[in-house]
Amino acid sequence: MLEQITRVIVWLCVGEIASRLGLVPLPAPVIGMIMLYGELAARGNLPDDLGILADRLLQFIGMLFVPAGVGAIAHLDILRAEALPILAAVIGGTAITLLVTMVIASRLGITAAKGQLRRIDQIERAVRDVKL
Amino acid sequence: MSNFSQLTSLTWTSLGEKPILDTGATVFAYFTASQISRLGGNHPLLNPTLLAIIIISVGLEATNIPYVAYLRGADLSQFMLGPAVVLLAVPLYRQKAVIRISARLIAVGLTVGLPVGILSAIGLARLLGASSQTVLSLAPKSVTAGIAVGISEQIGGVQTLTIVLVIMTGVTGAILGPIVARLARIHDPRVLGLSMGIASHGIGTARALQISEVAGAFSGLGMSLNGVLTAILLPVISGWL
Repeated sequence: MLEQITRVIVWLCVGEIASRLGLVPLPAPVIGMIMLYGELAARGNLPDDLGILADRLLQFIGMLFVPAGVGAIAHLDILRAEALPILAAVIGGTAITLLVTMVIASRLGITAAKGQLRRIDQIERAVRDVKL
Repeated sequence: MSNFSQLTSLTWTSLGEKPILDTGATVFAYFTASQISRLGGNHPLLNPTLLAIIIISVGLEATNIPYVAYLRGADLSQFMLGPAVVLLAVPLYRQKAVIRISARLIAVGLTVGLPVGILSAIGLARLLGASSQTVLSLAPKSVTAGIAVGISEQIGGVQTLTIVLVIMTGVTGAILGPIVARLARIHDPRVLGLSMGIASHGIGTARALQISEVAGAFSGLGMSLNGVLTAILLPVISGWL
């Protein structure tokens, strides 16, 4: 497990350095994530402990946003003063995104209906291997 | 010996300054919120993060503890967030078989959903007179929070505001997703899941998982890819926003 924690921290540090030096215009953790994905893809397998670490930590990732969310109380005045544009952007924008994505993806993204059943079968088999 | 006692007292001093109580409050509030959420059948409105934020805020107001005192503890969460985002590579890697089979659907979904998500939010906010700070904080609203805060900082938004907007967006998408699908007569769980992940990240994904395993897998995929691609694209185009 220590090896996997080290692996994650090392990639995070690589991301931090790349981000600080301005090599890549991305947040450091995102660079680290891409590097870790690249490493996993190159090795071709996922170490058990890394899978366990990810499952455990990602389970309560929502907790890590609580302090920042409480900090937003400091911005309550912005939220209140700009309530209309914010609500319109969040609710309207999300509804538009869902509708447009669904309609276009189902029109253009799905190949001929004939092969579809076989494809869905294939996908269900693939999905069974995926543990979210 | 005097060195030793000095060291001990230094250790205690630093422990005393460490945000143990604040972090304890956060963990306890989140635990309580998770229990409430589970009792309520994991309804999207009972999002544990949102509930925990409310619990802490009410608690601080009630006890007259200043926000600043509590927020010192935020450093610890911010530190944990980095490794957590790096670990998002793991679920993405597990889904590589799904990516291969449905590459075309995923590509179309992202090509449409990513820009529409950003532009619809920015457009509506601008139209109704939002300040540019608010507009920039809104831009990464569909992205999973860990990545969104990084983007927000980079393009000049307010990080804490972005987090609240991200959670609001997640809750909205989780509720609206199945409704919009019904109205648009979309029955394919892959399309439903992918769209919900792109529009409303992890909170949408949690809802998609309740609908079906296939919808959940595609939603997780939409969330991860949308997060990475938005992080790449948004800082580049933010100059024009």
